[in-house]
Amino acid sequence: MMSRGGRGEVPWVDNPRPDPAHPHLIFSPSQLDFWLAPRGTGDPVDVRVPFPSLQPLKAHLEANGIPYSIMIEDVQVSGGGGSGGRGSRHGGGGGLTLPRVPQALVDREQMQMLRRRRVLPLSTDAFDYSSYHNLDEIYAFMDLLVAENPNLVSKLEIGRTTENRPLYVLKFSKGGTNRPAIWIDTGIHSREWVTHASGVWFAKKIVQDQEKDEGLASILDQMDIFLEIVTNPDGFVFTHTTNRMWRKTRSKRSGSLCVGVDPNRNWDAGFGGSGSSSNPCSETYRGPYADSEPEVEAIVNFVKNHGNIKAFISIHSYSQLLLYPYGYTTTPVPDKEELHQLAKEAVAALSSLYGTTYKYGSIISTIYQASGGTIDWTYNQGIKYSFTFELRDTGRYGFLLPASQIVPTAQETWLALKVIMRHTREHLY
Amino acid sequence: MKRSKGSATHRHRALPVLLLLLSAQLPRPAVAEQPPWAPGVERALDPSSRLAVGAARVALHNYNFHAASPSGLRALGQVRKATVKSIPGVGQKCYLQFTTEDYRSRENAGSCLATVLYPKKKSPPAVNIKCINTKDQKQIQEEDNRLYQKLKRQTKPITGSNIPDSFGNIEPALEPVWALAVAGSSYMMWEKSTEKVGYFMTQVKSVKQWMRKDDSLEFDYVILLHEMPTQEMISCHMRLIWLPGHPLKVKYTCDSENHRLEDGSGMESGSAAGIIREREENF
Repeated sequence: MMSRGGRGEVPWVDNPRPDPAHPHLIFSPSQLDFWLAPRGTGDPVDVRVPFPSLQPLKAHLEANGIPYSIMIEDVQVSGGGGSGGRGSRHGGGGGLTLPRVPQALVDREQMQMLRRRRVLPLSTDAFDYSSYHNLDEIYAFMDLLVAENPNLVSKLEIGRTTENRPLYVLKFSKGGTNRPAIWIDTGIHSREWVTHASGVWFAKKIVQDQEKDEGLASILDQMDIFLEIVTNPDGFVFTHTTNRMWRKTRSKRSGSLCVGVDPNRNWDAGFGGSGSSSNPCSETYRGPYADSEPEVEAIVNFVKNHGNIKAFISIHSYSQLLLYPYGYTTTPVPDKEELHQLAKEAVAALSSLYGTTYKYGSIISTIYQASGGTIDWTYNQGIKYSFTFELRDTGRYGFLLPASQIVPTAQETWLALKVIMRHTREHLY
Repeated sequence: MKRSKGSATHRHRALPVLLLLLSAQLPRPAVAEQPPWAPGVERALDPSSRLAVGAARVALHNYNFHAASPSGLRALGQVRKATVKSIPGVGQKCYLQFTTEDYRSRENAGSCLATVLYPKKKSPPAVNIKCINTKDQKQIQEEDNRLYQKLKRQTKPITGSNIPDSFGNIEPALEPVWALAVAGSSYMMWEKSTEKVGYFMTQVKSVKQWMRKDDSLEFDYVILLHEMPTQEMISCHMRLIWLPGHPLKVKYTCDSENHRLEDGSGMESGSAAGIIREREENF
C-alpha cells in the first residue's frame, strides 16, 4: 500500500468487514475517494486512498482496530480519458475533481483481484499444512483465514520490502483497544522454510482453538496476538525461484556486487559489534546502518507505534534451541532468572509431545555471539519476554527438513509458545 | 584410544571426583571465551557447550569417514561427559563420552569415547574414537553389500541433483548415493573443523558417476556444506571411490573464498569444477 519511490501511486483499500463499534471514518471526502460509499453502520466500504492520506488513514484504522485489506495495491492514475461507465462508483460526488481511472485498467485490476481469490484451496480447512508453500499460497491462505474469521482475525500491512512486496501481519483479537499483545514472527531468514510452514499452522491453530482451548481463550480474552508469517518475502520468493539457501534480504547497494543484509543483524542493539559482518557478501552482513532494511524497519515502527507488546518471539531454524537475550554481550539481562526458568518450562512442554530435545539459554552462551539481533532490540525496548526459537532439526536435514516433519514441529513448538503466552498473561507488566 | 581398556576405566572412575573438585573451587565463567587456564589441567565442560558438542561432531565425522559404510553412518545423540585440557605449544584436547543414533532411522546406535585435539597451528583435528555397536555389524556389512550390488548393476552412469530437494525429499533410488556423500563429506568436515567453526552437510547439489573397469564405485559430487557460526554455504567438489570393506578414498576442493559473487542464477556450482576432472582418475 505504501509505495516507495513516490510517483504518486494511489492504492485502493477495501473494508469488507464492518465493526459496529467503529462506524465511521473521520476523514473528509476531499481526502478519501469512496468507491463503495458508507451506507450505514455494519456495511463495508471501498476506498481509494490518495497517497498523502495513506499513513494517517492506516494509523487511524489500526489504532481503532478497524479491519481492512488491500484489494489493489497501486491504481495507476491517468490524466484524462472518458471513464463515464465507472462514474457511478466514484463516491464523494459534487465539486470534487478526482482523477479518472481508465476502465480497462480498473477491469484488469479487478480481474487480478478475483484471480488471487480463486487460488486453491477454497478454505483453510482444505489447505495442506503438511507441505511447503510459496508466497502466493501463503498470502492467499491469510486472506482465506481472515474471510472465514472476520470477528477474530484481520490482516495488517506494516510496510513494503525492497522489491515492493507487502509485509503482512495477522492480528488475532477479541476486541478492546490496543490490548497488551504477543508478537510472533516466522521466516525472517528465508531458507528456514519450516518456520513459515509452522507460522501458517499456528494461525489456523489459534482460530481452531480459541474457543475449545481454555488456555488460549483466556489469553485472547486479555491480549492480542500478532503473527507475521513471511517476515522476509523477497528472500522467500528467491528461495523458490533461484537459490534455496538464500538467507538474507534482497537489498542492493551501489558499490557492491553482493545482495542482501542479514535481517537478524540489522537491529539497533549492539549494532556493528562482533557477531556480525561488515562484508556485504557475508551471510551475516549487518547492513550499512541499523534498520536499513525495510523488513526490519517495518517491525520497529510497528512495535514502537503499538507500544503495548509484552512478549516478542522470533522463530528460526535449525538447531533445536530456545534462546533469550543477549546475543551481543555476555552481560546477563536483568530478568535472566525468570527468562531462564520460563525457557525451561517451555522446553519441557515442547519435549513432552514427541521427545524432541531442546537446549536453552542466552543467545551468546548457547549458540554464538550475534550483534544487532531482533530480540536484543525488543528486550531493550522493554519487552521482557523476548525469545528466539531455533526449530528442528539438529543438522541431519537442516534447512531441508522433510515436509512430514512440519506438523509435528509446529505442534510441539505451539506447546512451548502457549507456556510463554500464558506466563506473559499471568505476569503483565 | 591409545590407552588400554583397563586404564580407560580407571580414568572414568577418577573423573567424577575431579569434576566435583573443580566445580567447587571455580566460579562459573561469565565470559563466552575460555579464561586462561593452567596448562595441563583437565577441566570439566558443560556437555551441552559449543566446545563439547562441536568436538563430538568432529569425532563422529572422523568415525563416519573411517567406517566407510553408508549403512553404518552415525549421528550425534547427546554428550554425556566432556573435559578439556590445554596442552602448551600443542593445542586443546577434549575428552568426550557421547551417545549416537543411526543417521537415518534415529535409533540408538551405541555410545562412543573419543579424544579430539585441536592443534594450535592450522591443521585437521586429531581424533581417536571408539564406539560400542548396538546394531549387528554383520547386518550392516550385508546392507552395504546389497547397496553396492544395486549400484554396480547400473549400466548407465548414475546422475542426480539437489539431494535432498528443496522440500527435504530424497528419491529412494538415490539414497545410497546420498549416504555415500555423507560418508565422503565427513572427511571434508573433519579436516575443516576447528574449535570455533563446524560444519553440516546440507545438500548434494549434483552427483555424477564415473564408470570404472575395476570393482570400485566412483562418484563426482558437488556438495553444499553449512558452516557455523558464519552461516555460510560452502560449495565443495568431491571425488569419492568406494569398495565395501575398504577405506573410502576422497579428494576434494572447497570454494576457499566463502564470499562468492552472487550472479542471480545460483552460485553453488564450485569454481573448482574444472580442476578435479583434470586429475588422474586412479588415485
